[in-house]
Amino acid sequence: MFNFSSVVLQVPFDTTSLISVFWIGFIVITFFYQTRLQSYLALNDISRGLNKLKVMKDKSRKEAIEYLVSVGKAPNDPTQRVDQFLDYVTIMPVDIDPAGLVGKIDHVVTTNNDRVRAEVGALLSQNNPVTVSISENLLEVATSLNMIHKIVRHFYLLGKKTNSYFTLIQLQMLMPMIIQEADALLNAVDSFKMGQPVGDGIGPVVVSKLMAGKEKRVVAKDTVMSMTEYKGRKLYVLKADGPMAYVGQPGVAIRKVVEEMGVKPSAIVMIDAALKLEGEKTGEIAEGVGAAIGGIGVEKFQIEEVATKNSIPLYAILVKQSILEAITVMRKEIAEAADKVTQVLNRVIEEKTKEGDEVLVAGIGNTLGVAQ
Amino acid sequence: MSSVPGADKKSKLLVYSIEECPVCGQKTKRAFVVGDYVTKEAAKCTKCSNQTRVSLVYAESSKPSG
Ligand SMILES: [Zn+2]
Repeated sequence: MFNFSSVVLQVPFDTTSLISVFWIGFIVITFFYQTRLQSYLALNDISRGLNKLKVMKDKSRKEAIEYLVSVGKAPNDPTQRVDQFLDYVTIMPVDIDPAGLVGKIDHVVTTNNDRVRAEVGALLSQNNPVTVSISENLLEVATSLNMIHKIVRHFYLLGKKTNSYFTLIQLQMLMPMIIQEADALLNAVDSFKMGQPVGDGIGPVVVSKLMAGKEKRVVAKDTVMSMTEYKGRKLYVLKADGPMAYVGQPGVAIRKVVEEMGVKPSAIVMIDAALKLEGEKTGEIAEGVGAAIGGIGVEKFQIEEVATKNSIPLYAILVKQSILEAITVMRKEIAEAADKVTQVLNRVIEEKTKEGDEVLVAGIGNTLGVAQ
Repeated sequence: MSSVPGADKKSKLLVYSIEECPVCGQKTKRAFVVGDYVTKEAAKCTKCSNQTRVSLVYAESSKPSG
């Protein structure tokens, strides 16, 4: 008679082989589907970051509109105009023939800046320059966050659509840094709304002490200059016009002072905030040579050009800070570096120039909350 | 008094204005109020009754350890 139990027992089906089968299956699946699995995880990760960016962008837009209405007393609802503003593009000049490119970039950027100010001015029912400049900055923050969100969303959707593993993985790797930068921008909104000096304003803070009580003259758009003396040297001190949230045009100003006003400086000393590397202390002071100025490069080019043409040495004094500290309210460590920077400035002037010389001192940075 | 989140998100930063007397150098620390800016004329000096000016505006962690 057929013995069922003896047949069953002959089939090699114990727990050890079950585990083996499971492992072989697992290895086969991970071998073929590993990238797909990782893409799925990356998509989830990016999607969470993208949501965060969307919340940030919406918040900055809302804050800008609120400021325009509550402080700027906009007579009409500015929402629609603000939304158009966020999508406004600046088309950079073609660079396949680079000769004269800086002039073209300068032209485009200046046109854009003038447009922003004119439009913001038209939105508000007042022309208090501080309020207008703060509104400009708030709209710029909202525009930047809008742009960051759009670009991240573009690559997220592109990666998803084309199932591109490498697009998604690269985006996933960059995401924490993008979020960090966006977070810094969003935090800047609070400081701007209150009109508080930001970390980037340390250069203006230092030179404002030299300019206080002196006669000021406008030497370039949003840029003012005073004359003072230090140990027999004549100092020409310039900064953006505060307490508005301006950065001014130090490049144009320095060129004008040297080439049109006939000043023959023996040195140009620039004081600016500089991004610290991770591990460096906030408020640390670094000295160097060269044009200490950030931005798109136009001002830097102009300063380097006038300095080279007239053989004027360029000295830099930098105050280290993170991107978050540079665009949010000035931290105590940075503010307290001001006195030390003044000491360094005095030493540089004493060492590099002699009595009777002329020296140009420029405080570079956003001068919000720092008058002169 | 305004405050912004600190770098570590847990501590709040409090913002202060420092009024400095240009004659005797006395410094007074007070809470920032909207409209303050560096070089703005502030209260009369309590020591020599000269005009003081705001010399610094900065933020500090609300934790006493700083
Ligand atoms: Zn006093």
